[in-house]
Amino acid sequence: MTGGPRARYVHFLDEVDQPDAHLLGGKGAGLVRMTAQGLPIPPGVVITTEACRQFMREGGVPADLFDEVDRNIERLEHRLDRRFGGGPTPLLVSVRSGAAVSMPGMMDTILNLGLNRDAAVALAQASGSVSFMLDVLVRFHRMYAEIALGAMDEFIGDAAEEFLAGISNVESSDPGRLFDRLWRVCDEALEFDVGTTVPLDPHEQLHGAIEAVLRSWQTPRAVTYRDYHKIPHDLGTAVVVQSMVFGNLGHPSGTGVAFTRNPVTGSPTLYGEYLEGGQGEDVVAGTVDPQPINDLADRHPELFSQLQRLSNELERTHHDILDIEFTIERGDLYLLQVRSAKRTAEAAVRVAGDFVNDAEMDLAGALGSVSVDQVRQIERARFDEDAVAHARAEGQLLTTAVGASPGEVHGVLVVDADRAVERAATGESVILARPTTSPVDLHGMLASQGILTVKGGTTSHAAVVARAVGKACVVGCGAIQIDEEHHRLTCGERTLAEGDEISIDGSTGEVFLGALPITHGAASSPDLAVLLEQADAVANCSIMGRVTTVEQVQGVLERGATGVATSVGHVLTTTGDLDAVIEVFNAQRDARRPDFRVVRRLVAEQFGPLLAAARKVDVGIRTIDFLSSEAGELLQQTELLNHHPRLAVPLGIPEFVGAQIAGVGDAISAAGFPGRAYVSVRHVSDPKEASAIRDIAAESGVDGSVGVYVTSPRGALLAPELARYGDVLWVQLSQLQAAMFGLSSREYLSGEPLDDYVRRGMLTTDPRTALDETMDVMLIPLAKVVRDTDCTVGMRLSGDVSEQIVDKLYAHGFRLYAVDAAEVRPLRLALGKAAATAS
Amino acid sequence: MERATGFSLDDAHFEVLNAIVLKKFASAAMVADATGRPLPEVEQAMAALEADGSVMLANGQAMPTDVAEGQLAQLAAERCAALRADPGVERLHDRFEKLNRSFLQALTDWQQMPVGDRKVQNDHSDPAYDAEVISRVSQLVDRLGRICDELAATEPRFARYRERLTSAFARIDVGETDYVSSPMVDSVHNIWFEFHEDLLRTLGKEREE
Repeated sequence: MTGGPRARYVHFLDEVDQPDAHLLGGKGAGLVRMTAQGLPIPPGVVITTEACRQFMREGGVPADLFDEVDRNIERLEHRLDRRFGGGPTPLLVSVRSGAAVSMPGMMDTILNLGLNRDAAVALAQASGSVSFMLDVLVRFHRMYAEIALGAMDEFIGDAAEEFLAGISNVESSDPGRLFDRLWRVCDEALEFDVGTTVPLDPHEQLHGAIEAVLRSWQTPRAVTYRDYHKIPHDLGTAVVVQSMVFGNLGHPSGTGVAFTRNPVTGSPTLYGEYLEGGQGEDVVAGTVDPQPINDLADRHPELFSQLQRLSNELERTHHDILDIEFTIERGDLYLLQVRSAKRTAEAAVRVAGDFVNDAEMDLAGALGSVSVDQVRQIERARFDEDAVAHARAEGQLLTTAVGASPGEVHGVLVVDADRAVERAATGESVILARPTTSPVDLHGMLASQGILTVKGGTTSHAAVVARAVGKACVVGCGAIQIDEEHHRLTCGERTLAEGDEISIDGSTGEVFLGALPITHGAASSPDLAVLLEQADAVANCSIMGRVTTVEQVQGVLERGATGVATSVGHVLTTTGDLDAVIEVFNAQRDARRPDFRVVRRLVAEQFGPLLAAARKVDVGIRTIDFLSSEAGELLQQTELLNHHPRLAVPLGIPEFVGAQIAGVGDAISAAGFPGRAYVSVRHVSDPKEASAIRDIAAESGVDGSVGVYVTSPRGALLAPELARYGDVLWVQLSQLQAAMFGLSSREYLSGEPLDDYVRRGMLTTDPRTALDETMDVMLIPLAKVVRDTDCTVGMRLSGDVSEQIVDKLYAHGFRLYAVDAAEVRPLRLALGKAAATAS
Repeated sequence: MERATGFSLDDAHFEVLNAIVLKKFASAAMVADATGRPLPEVEQAMAALEADGSVMLANGQAMPTDVAEGQLAQLAAERCAALRADPGVERLHDRFEKLNRSFLQALTDWQQMPVGDRKVQNDHSDPAYDAEVISRVSQLVDRLGRICDELAATEPRFARYRERLTSAFARIDVGETDYVSSPMVDSVHNIWFEFHEDLLRTLGKEREE
């Protein structure tokens, strides 16, 4: 450091030893790190969080803080050969808040600070544009007024606009006089609004802005946020004061945004926009149309390759796709902001795959950059591509409007919210078409698969609500007229009546006549296939995908399941044979030794084709469970249980269980099934039950594996005992969680009221998405079975797979899982992530 | 809440009908919450409105009849004549329309994030992004609050929107982010939208899209 008084609060970005976020805030630490890496960051200083803490202790700006700031600004002037509040090259700065944790309510950025008459005149000369200088003036005045002085309205912008509209020949006017007049206009508008004005002295501006940042730490919004998220109030915010660079001073200059890879497709080429001679806000505000980034390559190849080099370097250090804001000022390239890039699910998967193949990226980092939700998004239902092409060729494309909420859906056209509800209630898929929507249409929107509006854009009521509730939505279909009276819709020559099928694509905004067939996207994503193979290789787990029909087997295996899971109850319900089973009970209500040969035959008949479809993969089968809540409504549970109360316990009628096991055995023989089929009985909790199941299987003469399906804490705690009598032990995790929390499984599975309960903070762990340590008491004995015995232990996960739960289960040592078909791919990713992090 | 004295039953009728037309299905409790009027007064007004044929009551839910919209528009024209004639009100409406555009953009940013030339759903995994959007929504809501105050000087019921916005934000502040845009709760978007409809009816204007 140079001489002078000791730095207490203020440090140059390139004079800090450690990028300590606690002291420098997240933004400050990031800038220090990048400066240390030799990246071209506009020079600046950071005021440490200690100043903020001192501000809180003293109830005001710490003594000497501003002196220290001013001394550092002087150093900055010397270093850059610019003057703060003067020319020939003015020093303007940005002022930002930045705590170690971001939170709402904190002061935003103030740009272009340091503008007074001299600086403005110099800026007009340097840029060769008086109107640019006036533009900077208005932007600065508004930002300062809003952010530092709490102005609430657009009065300044309106007044400035009015003033500027009355000025002709701006470029040939005297910039100093224009500055004075416009500044006064802005000040008057502000004074009318909040009774105060923006200081003209650059140092006063800077002090005011810094004080506003420190004060914003204590805004009620920020305080509440910290309370709720348990962030210490004495963490404090840092303040970053950085010199501004301009993309419109001299040549070559310009500004742009670059992504290190294409964030839409994931292709590994620099992507973005560039505006020669433009200033950062122009691009952000969308007031000018920037050119694709290749424009930079064409104009200034050496600067483009510098940007390319920096992009590669940053990606290596961040292990991520980045979004880089940059400005070129007179041939010097500066990075203004570097953030993790937002990307589509497709890009995330593609890039993770490329990262895996890149020797310098580790597998955990690559897999970690994709979420199970992104896998689900890729798998989501979409129109068959050939069908879309065909529909277009055949003139079935009705209109192309604006896609407002993604989703590819078809359904019957309905033009009234009430009727949409009525038709949806009969099980029809409905597309609700309205001129516009308002809250009175909400029930109709909720009942529909998709929403179409004639008017409105991507911020209309229909669009906002559709996105909030996850419905496909197309807006701004100006070519369509809705005839509410006659329940019709016309588009050009065509007229559609209510009940006609249409298809809408909420991404492209296309509206088609007829119902386009739906496929699932992941099948066509080779990038996802490659990534999940990597995940499988590291996880080395088995996954059974749930099926109820023969046709589903192939789909589950295509998703990468290593086996299929099914249940006698579900299979027979789907084939329509369950009634025959119930008939057996009804017919033999009083028989002392009921005859279950029919059950054996039905099971054998229906499982033969299923086992044949499974070829040689593992098949997990559980016996009929008349107790499960999903069986309840289907089976007139109470009626059956009234007459056959012994069905209320797992082995109440051993012959019934035996008939199912024997039926599966017959199917195995008939199909010549070479794989392993396990039959398990649900709700078992006692070693005696487990041993009885083994005996029943032996009596049936079945050459297969049998075991238990644990749904109770007792079953889990006694797992090592149960395992002695069986080949397989399945665990239904949701049931154990529900029992641990004392929730009925119905409440557990439905969204509300548990969603609301968790939101209100009444449960610190949401059992549907997280496992906490209270569950260890059950998981430890189960894990012991995995470790110490030959018994196969499988975890059945219900609903959407949670990464946190999978991570915990993997760490406990569980390597066999069963999930719904749609969750096979998300589970493969989650297991790969868990394994890669653990290794 | 505090209100000016000297209110007649007509005010209650108007406000209750207004709330029912805005919501389409509304229980007395919902109307009481939306208007800030006591429940018995709301129930009484609902019964009177049913007798007039402007609303239908079924299972405790009120629904506007086909004539309600027209009646309300007419009532608004009579009641709000003074407000409509106020030269300042045009400016106030312009201010709102500007604010509305920024608000809808902020809400879109809450739900979706720009990626190149596309948008992806905001999965709320980036706290910095979310904090920035919430701050922006909060500033806009503060500004709407100011417009509510100005309107409330002549039409006291507008003060209730500010109160509702404040309660919604209190929920958002403790992590209940459904209160930003979900149509299932009295979210900021819901309240904002109702305010907008109410303002248009009060001023006898059509929605610009």
